[in-house]
Amino acid sequence: MAAAGEKQKVVVLGGGTAGWMAASALVARLGDSCSVHLVESEEIGIVGVGEATLPHLRFFVESLGLDEADFMRATNATYKLGIEFRDFGRIGDSYLHPFGSFGSDLDGIHFHHLWRRMVAEGRDQDLFRYSIANVMAWRRKFQPPSTDPSSFLSTYNYAYQFDATRFGPYLRAWATGRGVERTEGKVVDVELDGESGNVRSLLLDGGKRIEADLFVDCSGFRSLLLGQTLGEEWEDWSHWLPCDRAVAVPCASPPGVIEPYTTAAAMPGGWRWRIPLQHRVGNGYVYSSSHISDQAAQDAIVAALESEPLAEPRTLRFQAGRRRRSWVKNVIAVGLASGFLEPLESTSIYLVQGAVTQLIELFPTGPVDEADVDEFNRRTDVEYDRIRDFLILHYHATQRDDSSFWNHVRTMDVPDSLREKMDLWRRAGRVSKYTQGLFFEPSWIAVYLGQGIVPDGWDQRADPLDGAGLAAAMERLHGSIEEAVRGMPDHDSFLRRSGAAAGGTA
Amino acid sequence: MAGQPDRAIRSILVLGGGIVALSAAAVFARALRGVRVELVETAPDPAALADRLAGTLPTVHRFHSALGLDEADLVRRGIATHRLGSRFDHWPASGEPWYHVFGDHGLPVGAVAFVDLWNRAREEKRALPYRRYSAAAAMAAAGRFVHPSGDSQSRLSSFVYGLFLETDGYRDRLRAAADAAGVVRRPGRLGSVDLRADGGVASLSLAGGETLEADLFVDASGPSAPLLSAVGAAFEDWSAWLPCDRVVLERRPTPDDPLPLERIAGEENGWRWSAPLRGRSEEGRVFSSTFEKAGGAGDATRIRPGRYPESWTRNVLALGDAAAALDPLHASGLHLAHSAILRAVELLPGRDCNPVELAEYNRRTAEETIRVRDFLALHYLRSGRRDGAFWPALAERPLPDSLALTVQQFEARGRIPFFEEETFDKESWAQALIGLGLPPRRLNPLVRAVDSHKAAAGMERLAAEIDALRGRMPPYRDYLARMAALAPRSKS
Repeated sequence: MAAAGEKQKVVVLGGGTAGWMAASALVARLGDSCSVHLVESEEIGIVGVGEATLPHLRFFVESLGLDEADFMRATNATYKLGIEFRDFGRIGDSYLHPFGSFGSDLDGIHFHHLWRRMVAEGRDQDLFRYSIANVMAWRRKFQPPSTDPSSFLSTYNYAYQFDATRFGPYLRAWATGRGVERTEGKVVDVELDGESGNVRSLLLDGGKRIEADLFVDCSGFRSLLLGQTLGEEWEDWSHWLPCDRAVAVPCASPPGVIEPYTTAAAMPGGWRWRIPLQHRVGNGYVYSSSHISDQAAQDAIVAALESEPLAEPRTLRFQAGRRRRSWVKNVIAVGLASGFLEPLESTSIYLVQGAVTQLIELFPTGPVDEADVDEFNRRTDVEYDRIRDFLILHYHATQRDDSSFWNHVRTMDVPDSLREKMDLWRRAGRVSKYTQGLFFEPSWIAVYLGQGIVPDGWDQRADPLDGAGLAAAMERLHGSIEEAVRGMPDHDSFLRRSGAAAGGTA
Repeated sequence: MAGQPDRAIRSILVLGGGIVALSAAAVFARALRGVRVELVETAPDPAALADRLAGTLPTVHRFHSALGLDEADLVRRGIATHRLGSRFDHWPASGEPWYHVFGDHGLPVGAVAFVDLWNRAREEKRALPYRRYSAAAAMAAAGRFVHPSGDSQSRLSSFVYGLFLETDGYRDRLRAAADAAGVVRRPGRLGSVDLRADGGVASLSLAGGETLEADLFVDASGPSAPLLSAVGAAFEDWSAWLPCDRVVLERRPTPDDPLPLERIAGEENGWRWSAPLRGRSEEGRVFSSTFEKAGGAGDATRIRPGRYPESWTRNVLALGDAAAALDPLHASGLHLAHSAILRAVELLPGRDCNPVELAEYNRRTAEETIRVRDFLALHYLRSGRRDGAFWPALAERPLPDSLALTVQQFEARGRIPFFEEETFDKESWAQALIGLGLPPRRLNPLVRAVDSHKAAAGMERLAAEIDALRGRMPPYRDYLARMAALAPRSKS
């Protein structure tokens, strides 16, 4: 173990998105306190289908001092204003979960309560038209949000849709230029310290031995250090999230302006993603192998392609759940090595970023302190549990009864924590409040309403307001959103204008 | 689609004799148009500290805006003075005096927090006391005050302040606000509580024999909490962590000019404070009767620190000391009441007070109350005092888990872990932990990203700049006089 004042030695195992994000952030923030050594093997492929991100990634890009346009060019990235969900509540339904809020509060009354009353009076239907990100997405417009918090043009945010197989190499070039040491090799043995049970070193296939104080396990599903070596127990969530396979196949970009949003379309055995990048469209069918065969899934995704496939379909296997703890002894698992949640809400890269941020905040100042480990794991529990509940909601809030898959998820028992949230919402449109973690009030509202759970009641403070006046004010708000969006550049134009377009052919 | 199902609360009856009851009635009547709000003004309970203490936190402004009260008007009427924070003496006994203010200390460098830079400079023996890097603390120490600047570049933009309220005059303003909002007020004394078959309250019978019904009953009658107890809510005792159970409180005329801060001093078996008002001061002593049996404690009010985890049970909402009784340290009583009132308005359930809806209210209220308790408990359980019998006995007691985590994280690296519904922010926690003699023991490794000499030079400049500010700020009495001279805002 490093003595006080000496640099801690950190080994990052795995060179996928998680590994290079971890190595980059560690060297950027703690380069004076630790040395970072990344071990990866070209022979081991990376999963790399996680192409859709959340707005938090903007902060990551910024905190490394990366140039956004350069990063976007390198990864063929497009802007993303939200996720369209098709056929989830019922076949034929569609809504967009925007990165942004709905309308604005009136004297402390949350906007959706005002809207709910208007619905009851037959004056309104659609809450989503009061979300600027939503209107922009449907019009395929893009411009960054205003930095003036008093402007309603500041009420949205954006993320990226990118080629994840290029993100790792992009960060690798950046990180190795800043002192991250990289070793090519496969781990053949892991040596433990007999007394403490800590991981002491990795033995590589060429005979090289790499010692470190801390090991960041980014080895993907194999979870080589946390799962295989330290034997941390797996907590299975597949009874709530039964999808366990995905078949991915990219296709050529169709003509027309690129959608600034990702699409998730429900399918008989799961759902299908569509992620428009600059140079191609990523597609994949996430399904439950208990409900549909691999061949049927592959046929379905190929049939759904809008243009010619650019590669052979590739099948991935996984299981929803997580290791009970992500940090054990001197091993911190980041990304798939710590757990897996399907990409329905683009949370994979967020979870990597969150874990790395926590590790940096709790970075050992000497020998690993169990209190720090507990704090890291406590934070991670909160992150995982909230995302898990939010994902389950997408399946459970449905009227679909057209397949055994949807019958299962519609009728299954959900976690108490989710059932309580749904009951609270149903009564009067209240969203259980928290400020740490992912998915705040607007996100929950979008999915509840988008999937047909309209609350029975609403904030009674909305009742005495003048109905006609309220309806007129809401109409004006919608009008000003439409007008503002009309004046915005389309997504392709903005990609070119911002310098994010690669090669100008987008 | 049908209209609102018949769920709305139509009538609220508030029971209580002080500021909390009046505040609740006035805000409910203002915010919930069409709801009949009735207030039965009972005799004040001396143990209802939230009704009696002058100090408030900066959250008071949000509440005043919900009430329609204007700070400048309260100042002109001699009811309000400004509260930048508190000065602590003899706590720890041998230590330097320290300040708790509501404002930033220093400036972060990139992603490195100032407290980490300060801690390194301290280790290098080139740091001034933490307070010297805070404009608000400098003002407090010098007895000066200006309102925060709207210019975010100004050193004087990054602080907020609470108020001291002269409670008699304040109560009159609240009565006026309640009347203007349509609250039906009447004096009364609780006779009995009549329960419904389902355990909720059907009606209250007053001592005169009159019976009052309502959909929702608000118990703001102090720690005896007669309504909340009637519906079966259980009390949770916190005296292991908040050991003071006696308060002596008096108002004294004072010729001194008011200062924009209160003074707190540790004593053998507790502490005392002095809060300035216009022309007088609020003086108080807080101690533990276990350790101080007699000794001028004749008029002491008995308090029992703790809370009701379900302060909203069935159709009874408890506020103030009826919900949570904390001692006066850091003036959190009225803050918790204000926060609860606004939360109740935001989360107002249907008339049936369904447990699903109450659970969200109770969860958030509990999270907030527990962290205020932690902040207060820190001062007792990690006081740094070793004298007498009282303080050493407290140092033996285990910390509540959430507080233990905070102390551990700060000691380990200067980090304040995040909690939902936190009242006292990171700056508050850092000031208290450092003030009590618990600075980080190890440097946060993130600090190495900033050059030590450059950081020290920057800190020196900042401290000098803050020192220089003092001369440019008016003494508090001049500022008050200037505010008083301003013409009242015209009412439109």
